[in-house]
Amino acid sequence: MSLLSFLLLIVGGIATGTFGAMLGLGGGVFLIPFLALVFGLPMHQAIATSIVAVIATSSAGAAMNVERQVVNLRLGMLLEVATVCGAILGGVTANLLSGQTLTRIFAILLLFVSFTMIWRTRRSKSEDGSTAQDGAFPSSFKDEATGTIVSYTVRRVPLVMLVSLVAGNISGLLGIGGGIFKVPAMHMISGIPMKAAAATSNFMIGVTAAASAFIYFGHGHLNPFIASPAVLGVLGGSFLGIKINQKIKGTALTWVFAVVLLLVSIKMFWR
Amino acid sequence: MKSTKSPLAQPVIGRWISYILRFGVWSSAGFMIAGLLVRWLSRATAPPPAENPTPGEILSKLLSTSIDDVTLMYAGLVLLMLTPVLRVLTSVVGFSVEGDRRFAVVSLVVLGMLVAEFFFSWRVPA
Repeated sequence: MSLLSFLLLIVGGIATGTFGAMLGLGGGVFLIPFLALVFGLPMHQAIATSIVAVIATSSAGAAMNVERQVVNLRLGMLLEVATVCGAILGGVTANLLSGQTLTRIFAILLLFVSFTMIWRTRRSKSEDGSTAQDGAFPSSFKDEATGTIVSYTVRRVPLVMLVSLVAGNISGLLGIGGGIFKVPAMHMISGIPMKAAAATSNFMIGVTAAASAFIYFGHGHLNPFIASPAVLGVLGGSFLGIKINQKIKGTALTWVFAVVLLLVSIKMFWR
Repeated sequence: MKSTKSPLAQPVIGRWISYILRFGVWSSAGFMIAGLLVRWLSRATAPPPAENPTPGEILSKLLSTSIDDVTLMYAGLVLLMLTPVLRVLTSVVGFSVEGDRRFAVVSLVVLGMLVAEFFFSWRVPA
């Protein structure tokens, strides 16, 4: 592999990591199409690279969120039982499917992500979860934006475990973090405030991704010459994306990326 | 499932987990950067091995004088994949120290699944 390819992988990783963090999607949604369409990488290798990048960004983010006590550790640990089961099943299934089938399933996922992004821009921005104290896993965190202490409990734990199982399965199958499914479910089903839901989901993603990463690695899909520069790029890009996200709040930007993902989805479906 | 512990009262376990995650991410990034630098500086062109090395092989190469770009990159990737496992191990110890047996067991279940999968997945015929 040439120096130019290495540089392209790092730059591509930075770009996909930045866009992913800016939109709260993680890097995988952009990294996989980049590796598959620009580098012509087989789908299994693209997924394997993405899943390792997901571990890096999730671990780096979780380290900060755990220290700030935004993560509900006990809820996260319990839901990990479900996400790990799902990820193992997803990883095993992915290695039984052909690259073309996986690409098409991924294209459908991109379509879903694209519509979800548009839906998010149109709904009202209610950030509050349930402050009811009749649920399980009572938790509190300091909302740094408002300076207030937010207390909440978690309702309908079995249902959110089921969603976590599905999210883990999709993560293992397609190499994404799965936060796009878990965060809205934790917020809407269980009444967890958005910030705590996003932080707890991100905390779980590293473990979920590791579960399927072993399977992809065991099958020889992880090429160190591709994965190392891409992971480093995504990691750097995710920090950049978080910084940009604090300064730019653009609905128009979300629309642009939603349309881009829609086009990428079509391109991948007919690949 | 109701926890009797207040999650705000978890500074020790939270700090441990945070340290482990930071250590895993930055040390693995260091290995990968070192691997890329060695490859560029030595102008190596060898393709990756057909079969993934085992953790033992990676460790013995790291300790030997025959360290190369591929070994450094594999070391970074494997360390990164093991970081969440170390985080769960930290949770098992942390919850045990806090006297929260229920969540020590939950963490142990997750750890058991990850460790079993780690050993079963290594070197599956392609």
